[in-house]
Amino acid sequence: MIEIKNDESLRLPESWRTKPIALIVAGIVAIGLSFVLFRFVSSDNTMKLVSHSYLANFIFCLTFGIGAMFFVLVQFLVRSGWSATVRRQAELISTTIPWMAMLFIPILIMLALGSKELYEWNDTKENLHGLTAEKTGYLNWWFFSARSIAYLGIWSFITTWMHKHSRRQDETGDVGLTIKMQAYSGPMVVFFALSVSFAAFDWIMSLDSDWYSTIFGVYLFAASMVAFFALMILLFLALQKSGKLRDQVNMEHFHDMGKIMFGFNMFWAYSAFSQFLLYWYADIPEETNWFRERYDNGWFFLAYALIIIHFIIPFLGFMSRHVRRNRLGLGFWSAWFLVAHWMDMTFLVMPNTHLPISGLMIVAHLVGLVGMSSIFFAFLIMRASDVPLVAVRDPRLHEALSYSNPIL
Amino acid sequence: MSEHAPQTKPNRPPRSCGVIAEYSEEHHLLEAATKVREAGYTKTDAFTPYPVHGIDRALGIKPTILPFIVVCGGLLGLTTALTMEYWMNVVDYPYIISGKPFASWPAFIPVAFELTVLFSAITTFLGSIALNRLPKFSNPVFTSPKFDRATDDRFFLFVDSQDKYYNKKSVEELLHATHPQSIEEVKEDSTPSNIPRPVLICILLVMVAGLIPASLVFKMRNGMDPLPRWHVFFDMDFQPKKKPQQISTIFADGRAMRPQVAGTVARGQLEQADPYYLGYDPSQLSMIETQGVRLVSSAQEPAKAVENRVASPRDGQPPVPAETKSVAEQPPKVEPPKAEPETVAPADPAPTPVVTAAPQAPTPVDAKLQPPAVPAVSAAGATQAPTPGVPNLPFVKKIPMEVDEAAMNLGKQKFEIYCAACHGVGGDGDGLVARRADELAQGYWLAPTSMHSDAVRKQAVGQVFYTITKGKGKMASYGAVLTPKERWAIVLYVRALQRSRNANLDDVPEDQRGSLAKGE
Repeated sequence: MIEIKNDESLRLPESWRTKPIALIVAGIVAIGLSFVLFRFVSSDNTMKLVSHSYLANFIFCLTFGIGAMFFVLVQFLVRSGWSATVRRQAELISTTIPWMAMLFIPILIMLALGSKELYEWNDTKENLHGLTAEKTGYLNWWFFSARSIAYLGIWSFITTWMHKHSRRQDETGDVGLTIKMQAYSGPMVVFFALSVSFAAFDWIMSLDSDWYSTIFGVYLFAASMVAFFALMILLFLALQKSGKLRDQVNMEHFHDMGKIMFGFNMFWAYSAFSQFLLYWYADIPEETNWFRERYDNGWFFLAYALIIIHFIIPFLGFMSRHVRRNRLGLGFWSAWFLVAHWMDMTFLVMPNTHLPISGLMIVAHLVGLVGMSSIFFAFLIMRASDVPLVAVRDPRLHEALSYSNPIL
Repeated sequence: MSEHAPQTKPNRPPRSCGVIAEYSEEHHLLEAATKVREAGYTKTDAFTPYPVHGIDRALGIKPTILPFIVVCGGLLGLTTALTMEYWMNVVDYPYIISGKPFASWPAFIPVAFELTVLFSAITTFLGSIALNRLPKFSNPVFTSPKFDRATDDRFFLFVDSQDKYYNKKSVEELLHATHPQSIEEVKEDSTPSNIPRPVLICILLVMVAGLIPASLVFKMRNGMDPLPRWHVFFDMDFQPKKKPQQISTIFADGRAMRPQVAGTVARGQLEQADPYYLGYDPSQLSMIETQGVRLVSSAQEPAKAVENRVASPRDGQPPVPAETKSVAEQPPKVEPPKAEPETVAPADPAPTPVVTAAPQAPTPVDAKLQPPAVPAVSAAGATQAPTPGVPNLPFVKKIPMEVDEAAMNLGKQKFEIYCAACHGVGGDGDGLVARRADELAQGYWLAPTSMHSDAVRKQAVGQVFYTITKGKGKMASYGAVLTPKERWAIVLYVRALQRSRNANLDDVPEDQRGSLAKGE
């Protein structure tokens, strides 16, 4: 069995490790600044804009953890060998979830205080109408909060459990731990699938509580996977640039991550189109309303831009293996996918403000993104600080290190 | 290379095709392949029992152009699909589907996606076959008996004599240094390559036999045959079963169709005797029939009377004069009796003689002959102007179920789901379908009837029910879609709609009158 020497080349660069406090402070300042900017967008609807923007940026940062969690589970589920050197990075991204969960508390407090700015269904049945009135048994603040806590709890448990066992293996090198994680990854994936799907329904789909789409959870899942791979590729490129992990992660791993990212982006387009086609064809008013909202007030441009930027351009540009095996190409398209993913999350949440899209609104929303992602990176660095960035005694390391893609 | 194989060219020794080395370990093969490649040989090949990781790199195999061929195939599929769909839906057979434009790109995408995948897959399959130069029936390396182990547990490296730098001695020296189990020169396969005569004859025979079914079909489709059809499956063409109206030797009465057993009631039979399910009273119908016969006999004009009773549609018959209508205005009081199973005759109760439509005007003869006490034959139907296509039946005058608010709500709901699309929410015959049809102005559209037209207003509730159940003209029948209760509820709602257009203040409940009175 191969063991990697657990030395400084497997640690985060010193310059990164000193940043978390500064990042958190910057994050809070930026989020505060975005609130102020939203006041200038529309002083009557500041709370509405702020809460929607906060939710969109929160989901954007949370999806990295969701994608990473699924990646870790699947590696154990299929007893994957190639990924042994990159899996630790995914574990670290996924363990940001327990801390990211804290950022959901403001939304729960808003609901408990009876705010209807974000979720219109947060009201008594008598004041609501249409389908929403019939859904109050499910969509009410305490049941919603209970479910949200359950989702975040399930994910926190899965991610910390996986990471804890993997860390223990760093010390002991016990193969039994891998076998145990393999055994538990199956049931965990079931919990993962249900909780992610329902979280998407509750947190994003219920913004428009009259509307429903059963594939919505799948859509968010596909988007999460693309975002996670884009982030992981960029992190590896950055780490290798500062001299870390150069022997453990090679072009074969990058090539594979690029392939999966490309595949999941196809899947994202597939599920997005599946959802659209049925509503388009049936053309029933209460079902098409969601798309109508994304057509009015200038959001129309974002909707069309998403098709082109999230799917068509990267599909053509990122298809070739030569691009995927090129650091520059890989970095470029990963950054591209992150931008597209942020557009996607904005597209899912922001049109529900029923306010027209404007330049200042985008700037304010972007400042909010800077804040939220600063906090996310602070969490990630804090998680990764004292941990080797490769599972140093994983029993499948030899497979990962000798792995090569066939020449096509 | 059996001894029985005929020596075709005994003078020429088998040509040398190259050198093959046998290895027992995978890594020996990889090392040898690397060495051979580094020595400059390019026409080399490896044979292994399973795919060996890295062998393509060791042999220096160049990346294939297959992906580019597949991309072209995929794009071809995409263009084919989009062009095909556009041509079919816009050019060749434009047809409105769900009110969408002819060129509906969202609807084209699934097919475009499928054809892209299909063309890519087919191109991959055919492309890899072509690039591998398949099918190839023989290879000189097969001549070595040792080579059989290539599919079992041995690894082989072959250097072709066609190689630019090929030199038997130096290749063998090179390979000797790579831990081979053995090194052999590969000789040309000297077995004759022409197909043995018996095999050839068999192949030809099979090919000719394969033409027989096709030529038989061709002959049958293009010729005449005086003989009767040839039945391949006789018992499928002539099944041992009886069809309606056939003779049976099993039963004493000789009938294949069995009459209903006395004292039994068939499924659905009760409904055929119940005004609740029919909209008219079948017992009234049979009474009228017997009276009709009596009238006929007394009038001594059997042919004419029967013709009137079982009226056949005839063009050019005058519409009902108002006077004669008033004569027959008093219809029999139809009580909606629930069917009593005891009274149902076991024989078919369906009113077969009165099914035909009747533009039936009660002739003066009829009017004279009718004794005032007896309900006239035509009386039941004559309350409405008889229109072509509407049977003259003793329709029910009173809704045979409890009329309450629940029934009214049910009727409203069902009316708006099933009827309003054509007849309009207000029943004016201006539903969305009707409006759309008017827009298209295709000329053959028959506008839906307004519920507020005199013809409909004068209809008995049973007739409205009957129309919903059986359909009329272009209107489909809703008997299978709606339960009788729902159909009666719709009738009730239609009555309410009609009344709403002709109401006065007295129709409004006392407590709600105030606002209306003020409004006027």
